[in-house]
Amino acid sequence: MRRYILGVESTAHTFSVSVVSSDGKILSNAKSVYKPPEGSGIHPFEASQNHIASAPKVLAEAIEASGVPLKDLAAVSYSMGPGLGPCLRVGGVVARTLASSLGIPLVPVNHAVGHIELGCLLTRSKDPVVLLVSGGHTMILAYSAQRWRVLGESLDLTLGQLLDQFGRHHGLASPCGRAIEEAASRSRNYLRLPYAVKGNDVSFSGLLTASKQLLDRGSTFSDVSYSIQETAFAMVTEVTERALAFTGKKEVMIVGGVAANRRLSGMMTEMAARHSATVTGTPIEYSGDCGAQIAWTGWLTYSCGIEVPIEEGGVLQSWRLDRVDIQWRE
Amino acid sequence: MLYRGAEADVIRGDWQGMDVVFKERKPLRYRLAVLDEAIRRQRTIREAEMIHHARDAGVATPYLLDVDVSGSTLVMQFVEGDRLKDIVDDLDERELNALFSDFGRDVAKLHGAGIMHGDLTTANVVRSGRKLVFLDFGLAFRTPRLEDHAVDLRLIKETLVGAHPSASTRALGAFNRGYASIAGPSRAKAVQKQLQSIERRGRYARVT
Repeated sequence: MRRYILGVESTAHTFSVSVVSSDGKILSNAKSVYKPPEGSGIHPFEASQNHIASAPKVLAEAIEASGVPLKDLAAVSYSMGPGLGPCLRVGGVVARTLASSLGIPLVPVNHAVGHIELGCLLTRSKDPVVLLVSGGHTMILAYSAQRWRVLGESLDLTLGQLLDQFGRHHGLASPCGRAIEEAASRSRNYLRLPYAVKGNDVSFSGLLTASKQLLDRGSTFSDVSYSIQETAFAMVTEVTERALAFTGKKEVMIVGGVAANRRLSGMMTEMAARHSATVTGTPIEYSGDCGAQIAWTGWLTYSCGIEVPIEEGGVLQSWRLDRVDIQWRE
Repeated sequence: MLYRGAEADVIRGDWQGMDVVFKERKPLRYRLAVLDEAIRRQRTIREAEMIHHARDAGVATPYLLDVDVSGSTLVMQFVEGDRLKDIVDDLDERELNALFSDFGRDVAKLHGAGIMHGDLTTANVVRSGRKLVFLDFGLAFRTPRLEDHAVDLRLIKETLVGAHPSASTRALGAFNRGYASIAGPSRAKAVQKQLQSIERRGRYARVT
């Protein structure tokens, strides 16, 4: 028998609710995205106000679009962390209220694990090296022995932060990835920038500083956008290649908001060909933050018997994904 | 072909009658050519220099026989043995302790000579007879900085926890004891402290 679960996502700029079925069909995925003013980033409190204001509408929309009556929901899952405290708490309140009024279990989900598991569902990847690239994460991972294991990561900024902070320096509002990709496509003029690979890890702080300086000294936004993309993506591709060579796996899966960038996926595809590996990416609609990642991972979690009492259903702002016990994989 | 790494093909062959490997950093098409050429050139030269410095520090490496900068190729002695990566999970407690304690001692010797290896994964150290032989010095450089030495230890930890979870705690313990026996307790403690500070710098680093 098909069963259903509802998932609530609210870690950062996106408030989203989704209903999925136990056989992995996404029945709805409604969302509202907070847009900061030009030249600035996400203000956690302002974003949480957006989430509070839009929660009733997004929730109603997700339930209605799914066609699933409330009484048929088996459980409610929510993003417990990691993320921005004020934003996470809005999702927590919505999920606890719903679970307690319906008298069904509350299921905690790690947001980053959500990106990976939804990616595996949609790309049918079985045992991939995962590149998780977003505002909150830059990590290369592979599964082994009940954990998504970190094989490489950024030592400082995430790839999303690098692009956003560079874009904001130019006066754009976060998220800036798409505008930077667009500007980069108009240039072929590479300006030398620091390339910092340290073993399996990358560091972006020097690259950010140098890129801002180039802008300040009169280089065009599209030339610097092109150069920052070429440098940062090559660094990330190199460490992903290292993880692929080290593990001998044959699949690469790109997830998280920056997965939408075509230059990044193009580099990955060229790299993987050398190792006879395939590259998949989550479709754009689901690569950024969304309720479906929480609902689907919530279902996997719930099916292993994991839930949390309502009164303990708080948030964990710094919940690292390699601390999550993955009981649904062998 | 012995091994296709992330940045180089390693091919075993004959060179002036010797059993050698050719390590060739092939152009990587995903990188812009201008960036790629600069990186391959720099790492080829760096690796040749650092092999020399590491040997001076008393750490075993393959003998370097020839350097072809324009072809980004190094010719080195072929080292018979097992990569740590392939044996870590099968060692008994005593072997694991001895091996990782030696590993820690050798890394402390490198650091003591002001060399950061830059790529200390279990794929880059070979157990050859009773010695450990260190490979892949392409990301190495001369540095006395605590921060750089701590980054080396961080990669070892990341590789062990990420790729060899069941052996990681004991292996790291033995490694740290070996490291401290050469570096001295105060330097060892300082490097560990710096390592923790690096770990805290990452996003979502505080674990619950």
